[in-house]
Amino acid sequence: MTDEEIRKEQDLIEKSKKDSNAFGELYEKYFDQIFNYILRQTGDDELAGDLCSQTFVNALKNLPRYEFRGFPFSAWLYKIAGNEVNKHYRKHKGKIIFSIEELRVRELIEQTSDDWDEELINRLIQYMNELPTEMVRVLELRFFEDKDFKEIAFILDMTESGAKMRTYRALDKLRTNFNIKMKYDG
Amino acid sequence: MGKHEIRLRRQRIASRGSERFRNYGSVLKQHEEEKRIKLIVRIFTFFLIIAALVLLFVVVSRWEKKQEKSADQTSPAKIINHTS
Repeated sequence: MTDEEIRKEQDLIEKSKKDSNAFGELYEKYFDQIFNYILRQTGDDELAGDLCSQTFVNALKNLPRYEFRGFPFSAWLYKIAGNEVNKHYRKHKGKIIFSIEELRVRELIEQTSDDWDEELINRLIQYMNELPTEMVRVLELRFFEDKDFKEIAFILDMTESGAKMRTYRALDKLRTNFNIKMKYDG
Repeated sequence: MGKHEIRLRRQRIASRGSERFRNYGSVLKQHEEEKRIKLIVRIFTFFLIIAALVLLFVVVSRWEKKQEKSADQTSPAKIINHTS
């Protein structure tokens, strides 16, 4: 986002604090992003729809307390969405489902390695099932949402170095166990 | 197995897929309803606190009156009066 876009968005947020109708523009802008983020953590359209609505209701409720801290507004929404998903899993005591797009997995692998097959994908999924959940969350935000580490740290309530460490550890294992590389910065 | 399960999804949800869940009107309605309930709870709590304070005041003043009365009955002046 450019400085001008951030300033415009901040103006809209300030307007929304006084008039809930103005928040509709932010809702339209971020709905798909938040919906997909929740869907990736639930694998259920209906549930994702409900949790997404609740996310925006909570955002509206807490908007008067929102302050710009150098992160895009979407990071704040991601944080609320993550809390809603956690609340759901705590309440229902179920296994956390990460429903990731096959196409994206293939895209990520194809970036550096040409010799992938179904077997490799299956082994990769099995490997990710054994990773700590927190590590999967970091990987999801990094590779499926294209967030930088600073933003990931804010969304998941951890330090930036913690987010980096989790990513590098997971990717190191990928390199040694599967001989594949995935693009990352930091 | 850990506390999570990774599943592969064939299709990427496009904006059209999530369209049926997009409804700012219902979000706004829910928000207004929650705001109204919060206000009602706040007003109710306020009156409950006022009622509790009034009740406390009545109980304390009654207790004080009772104390004064019993102090009057056992004061030395009264005892002298009775003996004379």
